[in-house]
Amino acid sequence: MHPAELAHAAVMAALCAATAIIAVVVPFAAGLSVLGTVPMGLLAYRHRFRVLVAATVAGGTIAFLIAGFGGLMTVFNCAYIGGLTGIVKRRGRGTPTIAVAAIVAGALFGVAGIGFLLVFYRIRHLIFESVTANVNGMAAVLSRISGLEDAAQRLRDDFGTVLTYWPLLIIASSILSIGSVTLIGWWALSRVIARLSGVPDVHKLDFADSPGPVGPVPAQLRDVRFRYDSADHDALGPVSLTIDVGEHVAVTGPNGSGKTTLMLVLSGRAPTSGTVERPGAVGLGKAGGTAVVLQHPESQVLGTRVADDVVFGLPPGTTTDVPRLLAEVGLDGLAERDTGGLSGGELQRLAVAAALAREPALLIADEVTSMVDQQGREGLISVLSGLTKNHRMSLVHITHYNDEAESADRIIDLTGNGGAADNVEMVSTAPAPTATSAHTRRGGSPLLELTGVGHQYGLGTPWASTALRDVDLVVNEGDGVLIHGLNGSGKSTLAWIMAGLLTPTQGTCLLDGEPVSEQVGAVAISFQAARLQLMRGRVDLEIASAAGLDYYDHSQIVDALAMVGLDPAIGLRRIDQLSGGQMRRVVLAGLLARSPRVLILDEPLAGLDAASQRGLLGLLSALRRDAGLTVVVISHDFSGLEELCPRTLHLRDGAVTPAPTRAEGVS
Amino acid sequence: MTASRRTPRTVVLLRPVPGRSVIHDLWAGTKLLVVAAIGVLLTLYPGWVPILLVGALVVVTARIARIPRGVLPSVPRWLWVLLFLGALTASFAGGSPHVFIGSVDLGLGGLLKFLQITVLSIVLLGLGGLVSWTTNVAEIAPAVAKLGRPLKLLRLPVDDWAVALSLALRAFPMLIDEFRILFAARKLRPREPAATARERRHRMTREVIDLLAAAVTVALRRADEMGDAIAARGGAGQISALPSRPTWIDGVAFAVVLAVSAAALAVELFTPLATT
Repeated sequence: MHPAELAHAAVMAALCAATAIIAVVVPFAAGLSVLGTVPMGLLAYRHRFRVLVAATVAGGTIAFLIAGFGGLMTVFNCAYIGGLTGIVKRRGRGTPTIAVAAIVAGALFGVAGIGFLLVFYRIRHLIFESVTANVNGMAAVLSRISGLEDAAQRLRDDFGTVLTYWPLLIIASSILSIGSVTLIGWWALSRVIARLSGVPDVHKLDFADSPGPVGPVPAQLRDVRFRYDSADHDALGPVSLTIDVGEHVAVTGPNGSGKTTLMLVLSGRAPTSGTVERPGAVGLGKAGGTAVVLQHPESQVLGTRVADDVVFGLPPGTTTDVPRLLAEVGLDGLAERDTGGLSGGELQRLAVAAALAREPALLIADEVTSMVDQQGREGLISVLSGLTKNHRMSLVHITHYNDEAESADRIIDLTGNGGAADNVEMVSTAPAPTATSAHTRRGGSPLLELTGVGHQYGLGTPWASTALRDVDLVVNEGDGVLIHGLNGSGKSTLAWIMAGLLTPTQGTCLLDGEPVSEQVGAVAISFQAARLQLMRGRVDLEIASAAGLDYYDHSQIVDALAMVGLDPAIGLRRIDQLSGGQMRRVVLAGLLARSPRVLILDEPLAGLDAASQRGLLGLLSALRRDAGLTVVVISHDFSGLEELCPRTLHLRDGAVTPAPTRAEGVS
Repeated sequence: MTASRRTPRTVVLLRPVPGRSVIHDLWAGTKLLVVAAIGVLLTLYPGWVPILLVGALVVVTARIARIPRGVLPSVPRWLWVLLFLGALTASFAGGSPHVFIGSVDLGLGGLLKFLQITVLSIVLLGLGGLVSWTTNVAEIAPAVAKLGRPLKLLRLPVDDWAVALSLALRAFPMLIDEFRILFAARKLRPREPAATARERRHRMTREVIDLLAAAVTVALRRADEMGDAIAARGGAGQISALPSRPTWIDGVAFAVVLAVSAAALAVELFTPLATT
């Protein structure tokens, strides 16, 4: 299967398994299993049949590991029904077809069930006898009540009769249940597909198994232009440049200048016009070929164990010196660790190690630091700048940070090359301010009071882990507080507690003297993943729903948009056509329209370019200054936050510390 | 999932109990095979003797693996009530065997049947639990690849399945995190007013589609990025840096399971103790 097929099978399998597990484990949630048919249906709708089969195996195994045979059967059912709806949908058939198909599928399933119960007849006897005992017991109770003797006798007799014809019972119930689930699944799948029509395909790299010798460098680009399908201007070019063997080149330029498009061309996409000359094939991911490290730390890493990730995808039989590679990127001794516990910076260094395992002739790092905290960034840059010295390798480092470009041999600035250069400013990074007292009171009366707050996940289980301990904090009306900490410092847990989404295991978190967990919604929180907070398909519908506004009273929606500096015309835009910065603003519009007592922002600047960062910060500062909004920002970054948040609280290992945490050295 | 006050002990997913033991060191393939084999045995012969023998095996294995009692999620009260009601109605059914206490004749047949199927379910759950409490997630996919090797003769793409499984296991915790945020975000939103049952139904279906569409959108994005990461590694290939194969300890484990199964079978087939 192709990389995209494998990835889609895996993610949809995980989604289906998660639904199935919730349906089995959580009481009274069995109905949820119907929703598990949607990911499987989507897979069958968009991909080949074998992708669905692979997803069924993967999802079934996961569900089995967590929820036992019940989970396995639920995933299997979801795949059976989802596959049916997806295939019918792909063939362009309508509801009558699916209704007939559902009856046939139900009958087939029933026949399979009868076969099973015929083979395993002992378990059948046991189940039937056990249910009969329950029914007879009930009948025995009924027969003691005067007037109900006949009813009791009839219950006993009728149940016996029904059991005699059990195959019929199985077929009928199977047709009924499979049929109704199929129809609900069909309805949900149709609605979801209608909603998804605007979801952009964000995949970038094309997978090509090209024959012939591999030799990506020296690469010579002459008058290269690139235009995406259905775009009305060039995303890149015309650009002429050379990447020589063993040199470290930094590519800079604002958003929209074509940095990522250049990465695509270097990694094998054919340009729209112009020529790219190389001595051999690009060899993406091949030994001696081209390796690419991308932006998102979490999605880069493919193994659940560090050592497994380094070798992931290497041809079978290749031996790799994993400890040496890990040592080179400063992850010595972590080979056995779980990748889930690594910080963003560590994940990116791991991705570099995986790239090095292929001994590439060309390594392209595409904005690898944009989602990583300050300390992680420093470690990652020192690893990258050492590469061309220790390996016979060319490094192309694409970045929007000024200071990162400086360690390169040569800087290529794409400003002016692209079509839509709308922002020529580069982000610079800021040093940490010193912590101010957690109890400094400025102006307003206390609003949010945390006393001795501690939180432990998995309390009472062997996996118990302390996320927070003994946090005292008072947020006053009109305050601006920055809660700063690295990965795993407990800052997100603190944010959830302050929003009332988690009840702390120790201490209290009070809003106006009442536990905040009993007033969920009074404290607004904007999550880092803005997309997860946007539930409707269109901006105006989303804001009306999030703020509880009347959709038909358009002036309120216009006001809400204006408050976050968005043009009213964006109201008709689909959510999935928004940029990251716009999504965050739409979330804020929905939250602010409800006039929250406190606004918590979790990593509000992550993944935004310089202009969007500055715009958002200006907006928030103005709201705090003029509208008296109380703001709590959770971040691992400091740059530009001084005005918005005069107070800073440092968290480290779940506790408040007076000084900012320093990065551990990276070899 | 997230903690709530009614269920103090939460379910922790896909993480083995900390610590090492012989059971932790068993090959993951052995554990999967044993669970499958015992599952088949109990489905074929769900008698008291096999159930109790397997139950004893589960308890002893849990002891060896030093699994504390805290791994068990707390049982909600309604489940106890349900079990009690089931037991009560079943015991009214009577049937042999009969026990006489004084002059009262108690027929235990119904109750025993109910208990048998309840204990069977608990034993099967415990058996599955043992695998997830003692197995590192990273060992599962390589073991499945090795176990499935004979299926290659039928030209089934076992290697693709193993890769999909290992990637799904990698994606699973990330998706669970995203689900948590999704549900939290939903909890924070005001609920639309709905006066009539019809409006409530409309609101519910709309909310379901909203959540579903958001979850699927996020998953699709995740999948696109993951596909890029796989393409950047030149497609699928190795999935594990460490060898995945059984050792002599696995031989011992198989021998024990075989002995227990043989004993259970012998009782069921040749002795009057058979209860199926």
